[in-house]
Amino acid sequence: MPRQFAYYPGCVAEFSSKELNATTKALAPLLDIELLPMPQATCCGAGDIAEAKPNLYLTLNVRILSEAEEMGADILTICNVCTLNLRRANKMVKEDPRLLEQVNGELVKAGARPYQGTIDVTHLLWYLATEEGLSLLEQRGPRGLNGLKVAPYYGCQLLRPSSVMGFEDPDRPQSLERLITALGGEVADYDGKTRCCGFPIILAREEVALKESHVALSGARDAGAQVMVTPCPLCHLAMDAYQRKTEQLMGEEYSMPVLHLPQLIGLALGMPTQTMEFKRHFTSMDEVLATVGA
Amino acid sequence: MASTTFRVFRYQPDSGETESYHQDFNLDHEEKTTILDALLRIQNEQDGTLSVRYSCRSAICGSCACKVNGKTVLACMTQVEEAKAESGSAMVQVDPIGNFAPIKDLVVDMTPFWEKFKAVKPFLIPDGPAPEKERLVPKAAMEKVAKESACILCAACYSECNSLAADPEFVGPAAFAWGYRFAADERDAQRKNRAKLYSGEHGVWDCTRCMFCNERCPKGVDPRDAIEKLGAIAFQEKVTKDKGARHAKAFLISMRTGGKLNEQLVGGFTDPVGGAFNAPLALRMLQKGKLPASPLTHKVKNRDQVTKLIKNVKETI
Repeated sequence: MPRQFAYYPGCVAEFSSKELNATTKALAPLLDIELLPMPQATCCGAGDIAEAKPNLYLTLNVRILSEAEEMGADILTICNVCTLNLRRANKMVKEDPRLLEQVNGELVKAGARPYQGTIDVTHLLWYLATEEGLSLLEQRGPRGLNGLKVAPYYGCQLLRPSSVMGFEDPDRPQSLERLITALGGEVADYDGKTRCCGFPIILAREEVALKESHVALSGARDAGAQVMVTPCPLCHLAMDAYQRKTEQLMGEEYSMPVLHLPQLIGLALGMPTQTMEFKRHFTSMDEVLATVGA
Repeated sequence: MASTTFRVFRYQPDSGETESYHQDFNLDHEEKTTILDALLRIQNEQDGTLSVRYSCRSAICGSCACKVNGKTVLACMTQVEEAKAESGSAMVQVDPIGNFAPIKDLVVDMTPFWEKFKAVKPFLIPDGPAPEKERLVPKAAMEKVAKESACILCAACYSECNSLAADPEFVGPAAFAWGYRFAADERDAQRKNRAKLYSGEHGVWDCTRCMFCNERCPKGVDPRDAIEKLGAIAFQEKVTKDKGARHAKAFLISMRTGGKLNEQLVGGFTDPVGGAFNAPLALRMLQKGKLPASPLTHKVKNRDQVTKLIKNVKETI
């Protein structure tokens, strides 16, 4: 019996970075996961709605949690920002029954289902980086990454604030490293892996944002990485789509392909490359595919 | 008893040492010893030239922030043995706080921090003549700013702020926590002016949401949350010209018109002028299918619920 999740891919994976959504959907049956669609779910607000209208942010996110509760399944995410926004709202109302009552009052008035506070929100990385998840991957008999040198890149909002996220030590995370190693890759370690990619301000403050992503890109390059892997499609856009602009601004060359987490697993499990839609990436994946023999 | 090697950042330009380096000190100490006590014992017993800034030893004065194994903490409230257990290393490395220029050893030049602190006007500016007695405030009103009032200006947040590392002019988390503390004080009459003062280049919309400040604050101030609340105050006061505020507005419009993010709208609405310079990137994103060719909205099921929530939910910031 596959593990059922209410699947919340988030707006970026659904639209701009469709390759992430497509790969996750193709990967799910291989990992014994059933992804249940959430047709009513809105955007989580990405921190922007929280910054403009905090009460509206909370109510919209609790509405999403309530849809999953009605489906009887915990939420599975594939984006750092969605994970933080949903978990934060969940924590706020679970810890404060009066607040939950207020939010439910608004939901009922709008014709939405009230939330009872029984749902958990987890990221695909967290689901897989447990002993259970890693043994599941082993059972699938990965073809392996053939020693591909992979730089883990966590970004921010899957780690911090740890009072909301709490899966692992935010200063010494190991979940991506465990996955890379289990899949037959080699970890390229570097300091920038928990630093910000700059994406939340890339449209409003491009230069500041690109200088931030430079820290991680140059760190991964200097550690000898052939590729970076990230659990977040916003980090992916900053690192991949904007990479050329960062190179121009900093006067440096990275030539660093960037994988979405499910693509790394897909490569190791021998998923057809067309399914993972690498043609939608900006930085060439040729060397990576040659190394793993895909 | 325990024994620890401390690898301490040294920099003594007044003594002709132009380059910084790390120096190892071995120390036998009680199991329950703080990093600050260990540093002071090294200073007293091994090298009197070691410079450390400290005062109260009780996590109140905010003077002794430093990096222990790369993580900014108050030296007086961090146990040596706990730091070792956390890092899994028998050695403890001590460095000055980040995003500052060192003056001598662990002492940094805090001038930019204090200048930015002053710039947010971190004091009450009420309207009208002073009352005969004090201005009374209901308890609930002060609870709104209780967290921010706990800030001790230790700069642990500033030390690891990722926006500051990229833009040294960014006002930074601590100053904005104080800005919110007064903007949200019901006795203050400068709410709108503060919203204007805190917007613009290097202001609240420069925060990259790396969340390091919330993670590091030893007093639970959560400066990022204060910055977020200043954004909400800016919206309430209709101070929304900044590109950062327009970015947030685009999310609200997306929500109102469909329920999910409209990528074309966010790009175009945030920066209609400067966005033109990004035309080559936008074109490549179109080619790669990363931008939709049409500006159609993405509509969720039962969208009328979302519309009603947008209309009904009142902000209480």
